Amino acid sequence: MKPFRVWLVSFTVVGAVAGNGLAGNVSGRLELPPPPERPPVASKGFLDRVENPLAPVKPPPVAPHLLVVLEGEAKPESPAQVSWDLVGESFARPVIGVPVGAEVVIKNVSNTARSLVAAEDPKLIPSGPINPTGPKSFRPTEANIYTIGDRDAPHLKGTVVVVNTKYIATVDATGKFDFGDVPEGSYKLRVFFKSGWIDRPDDTVNVPAKGKHEVSAKIPAGYPLKK
Amino acid sequence: MFFSKIWFFLVAVAAAIALTIALVMPRPAQRAMVNEEHQRITVACGVIDILLTDDARNRIDLAGSFARTSEIVGALESASGADKLDDARMKQVRGVGEGVMKTIQGSRKPDFAILIDKRGRVVARVQLDENDYGDVLAGRPLVDDALAGYLRDDLWVQNGTMYFVTASPVVKRDPPVEYVGAIVLGHAVTNELSKKLVGSLGVDVGFYLGGDTVAGSKTLALDMTPMTAAVAKLKGDLSGDCAATHPIQVRAGNEDYTALVARLPGEAAQKKAFYTVYTKRPQELGFAATLKIVRQGDLSMATFPWIIVGAVFLIALAVGIGLMFFEADRPLRRLTADAVRLAKGETERLAEDAHPGKFGSIARSVNIAIDKLGRDAKSAKKDLDGLLGPAPEGSLGTIDLLATALPSSRPGGPAPAVAAPPSEFRFSGSGPTPSGPQHPRPGTPPPRPATPPPFKTVQTQPGHTPAPPSALGGSRHPTPAPLPVPTPAPASVSAPLSLDDDILGGFESEGRGTVDPYFKSVYDQFVSTKQSCGEPTAGLTYEKFAEKLVRNRDDLTSKTGCKDVRFTVYVKDGKAALKATPVKDEA
Repeated sequence: MKPFRVWLVSFTVVGAVAGNGLAGNVSGRLELPPPPERPPVASKGFLDRVENPLAPVKPPPVAPHLLVVLEGEAKPESPAQVSWDLVGESFARPVIGVPVGAEVVIKNVSNTARSLVAAEDPKLIPSGPINPTGPKSFRPTEANIYTIGDRDAPHLKGTVVVVNTKYIATVDATGKFDFGDVPEGSYKLRVFFKSGWIDRPDDTVNVPAKGKHEVSAKIPAGYPLKK
Repeated sequence: MFFSKIWFFLVAVAAAIALTIALVMPRPAQRAMVNEEHQRITVACGVIDILLTDDARNRIDLAGSFARTSEIVGALESASGADKLDDARMKQVRGVGEGVMKTIQGSRKPDFAILIDKRGRVVARVQLDENDYGDVLAGRPLVDDALAGYLRDDLWVQNGTMYFVTASPVVKRDPPVEYVGAIVLGHAVTNELSKKLVGSLGVDVGFYLGGDTVAGSKTLALDMTPMTAAVAKLKGDLSGDCAATHPIQVRAGNEDYTALVARLPGEAAQKKAFYTVYTKRPQELGFAATLKIVRQGDLSMATFPWIIVGAVFLIALAVGIGLMFFEADRPLRRLTADAVRLAKGETERLAEDAHPGKFGSIARSVNIAIDKLGRDAKSAKKDLDGLLGPAPEGSLGTIDLLATALPSSRPGGPAPAVAAPPSEFRFSGSGPTPSGPQHPRPGTPPPRPATPPPFKTVQTQPGHTPAPPSALGGSRHPTPAPLPVPTPAPASVSAPLSLDDDILGGFESEGRGTVDPYFKSVYDQFVSTKQSCGEPTAGLTYEKFAEKLVRNRDDLTSKTGCKDVRFTVYVKDGKAALKATPVKDEA
């Protein structure tokens, strides 16, 4: 199995605990079905890929492409900044969640300059290359899904999911996630996978004032997405 | 001549067709050659695709072998466990890679190698950007697939150079079996590789990236515009490009080339990488150009159907000559022979029905001319009679009994070379001219000597004394008219005698003792004339003379159908002569 990469992603949340100060720790686990089939080979050469004879082929990774979001009725406070590292031929995480209004800072930690652009809004990212070790930042103002890529490197793609909440959690290889302290209230739990929201009934999560609240959600087989 | 004309028409049509074929044939040949060239270039493109695929298979095998090297497995296993890669580890792993690279010899030796740990980080690079490490190559499809356990190939473009790259996972085979990384090997697309690909194909190949030339088997600056335009039209599966596309014409300097483009797969395809198989376009061949390139061997007996050509030529020639002979030469020869017979007097007219076609027309025209001449002659005779007076009444003509019958050697010396007086033996119409002494042609005025005739004529008539020539002013003969001897009564005569039988000899006929007064009169005139001319008359007897006259009279009567014959005595060349004239009408 390809290891689940959780490093190089950081969320800086300012005012994580808001309101009356009463909050519960929300964590949970996604019941992950078997990974979907490996997509067709991209940029096939003269030959189709062949499995090596020494070890079974790894299934495609699922966890890096998953996000779990808790959306409440109250308007969230915007975090100051979300950092996203460009590590070479890929981003540190292929999918990141960003609260509306937060500043996304892309850091190029590779040796190659890139010219990134959002497919859904070419003006979202300031034009110009991101030189090695140099940053590039932008601030999405509305909830949306943005596909960030480099036209000179079609394989380099990352997805920015802009949501109206600051309670966004990544998932490890086992499906576990942790929101930390969440104010008391009723929330809807939504799961994002790769390029869209998982097509499943939204779970209602009632966060108590105190204590630890465990949430469990089941992902349908095949990871179907809402249209 | 009908079939000759048909034959010449057919020969002309065949010649025109042959000329048309000769002029037109180079064009289909040119098209066939172009099609063959297209076929050849399409096949070459497919072969190059096969060679590249086969090469990819070999490179994958090489990458698999490279990844199975224990030193590589150990180095990447160690690197994968490290949170941070440093320079020392990079150099150590690079050294391992270089060591493995050295074991690969020949054309299979990669131009670079990249060693990647299981996290996707570049631990070391060999022979390309050797000092770069630590960056994440995970994300590139080739590397992702290799890290997942697949062997595959791809085409990368690094720093303007195109590489055939292959990747293989690196697997630790000792329990627990696990993936510890991947390796990537790269082979640059070079001119040498291009030459090797087309070595036995008879074409050239070039590799291009967008509008830039990457490598090629020949250093040639082909016009990129038509090639990039052709590439832009290509859709669907790349492997079918060679068969799906049509050859295009491209130029390089002043030379034209036929080219076939095919897209290259992999990441390079997204940068519009393609290769072009091309060959120099053959020159347009016309009739003259085709003749110029004919070789001696093309005309040898083994390759050229000389026998058939010769046979056709001989058949055409024989048929033409045969038709000419049967339709022209032979009829003309017949007409010529017929005309010669006509000229000789062997025939009166040309046989019209014996000559076909135009020759019959010629014969008819000649016959018409003959008829016209006859009519003209009759008309001319009438005119001459009107001018000179009528011929002796009842006369059918005269015959000079001595002109040919008498020996040339006569007493008194040979006859002078003066034309004999005209001895006409006329027949009615334009009948055939009897052979024998030449007579003046009808319609031709009789010759009138400017000098007085060299002889004197004594004409006797039965019961009359010879009249002076002036009394015969109606005679149309230029010589003094002989005195006619009165026509005797028919007498029974036996076998005719020739005048040459010597009228001076004895007379032995049954008429001996019988004296015909007319013959006696002629005899007396003849003797008198001879005496007057000083000729001897000894031996000249009446009996023989009369016998001769009877014989000639009978002969003339039987031949001409005349009623009687009148004999005339006259002087010819100073000697006595006798002339017989048939009398048509007794009255």
